[in-house]
Amino acid sequence: MSDGAPTTATETAALRAALAAEHTAIWGYGVVGAALGAAGRAPAVAAEAAHRDVRDRVSALLADRSAAPVREQAAYALPFPILSAVDAAALGVVLEDGVAAAWVRVLDQAALRATRELAVGLLSAAEVRAVSWRIAARKTPVTSALPGLPPTK
Amino acid sequence: MSATSSLAGPSFSRRTLLAASATGVAVLAAGCTSAPGKSRPPVTDKQAEALAAQVGVQQALVAAYSAAGAADPAVKVAVAELARQAGEQLTALQAAAPTKRSASAAPGSAAPQGDARAWLRGQVAATATSHATACLDQSGPRAALLGSIAAGLRGQDRRLA
Repeated sequence: MSDGAPTTATETAALRAALAAEHTAIWGYGVVGAALGAAGRAPAVAAEAAHRDVRDRVSALLADRSAAPVREQAAYALPFPILSAVDAAALGVVLEDGVAAAWVRVLDQAALRATRELAVGLLSAAEVRAVSWRIAARKTPVTSALPGLPPTK
Repeated sequence: MSATSSLAGPSFSRRTLLAASATGVAVLAAGCTSAPGKSRPPVTDKQAEALAAQVGVQQALVAAYSAAGAADPAVKVAVAELARQAGEQLTALQAAAPTKRSASAAPGSAAPQGDARAWLRGQVAATATSHATACLDQSGPRAALLGSIAAGLRGQDRRLA
């Protein structure tokens, strides 16, 4: 019986989903970086490194709980063709938006204060990166009022 | 099989890309507005009061956008979309607040002296920190909403830099 309150089980499930999103982002940034060329690659390299760090932290957290590991896939199909630097930046937006939604889900499902602290920090970092990618992708608006939450209309 | 050959495979789509986050997010959004028939965690009086306080914090930010715009017409134009989003965040917070009690008077909306944009950026950053801190002692959809707003304001801070 449940009153709907988050539990360690719901939190762990959300963390596993977030880890899957981080795996996706790491893979996706390889594509972004390859499409940007040497001159513009630095933001993609930095973002990939950030997501690798998060992956390692979350993997360790799940291992401490003896939760089943989440493995990365060998490859992923792209949501659209990456034919230009603008396309690459748009993929960066998709990657960060996906990660943001996963961390919002963790906030919704977290039972522990420390997990919420982790999630809100990572959610914010994802949105800051997303702003930069939206600018590069010439998307408007470049900011999101409620990152990670679905549109209300 | 190499990663390159797998690129053309059907193993991943935009849906898959977002799959880690899509499940339950609609429920989450609904929970923020008290979806009928959905079991959600109970709200303590302390949490309710804390959320009401964050409504006041966000009201102060909305006022700050107005003050900055009044002080500098160029800033008003430049931040119009950010101001609109701050209002959207306020609406979401008000909808999520379990009571309609009014928050305490919003401080910090006095007219900026000097660089209005820099002053506004400081207000945005402080509001983001306030919501992020408040998020830690909430749970369920209230934590998610405060965290999302805090992140949105971090993005605004980046934009104002």
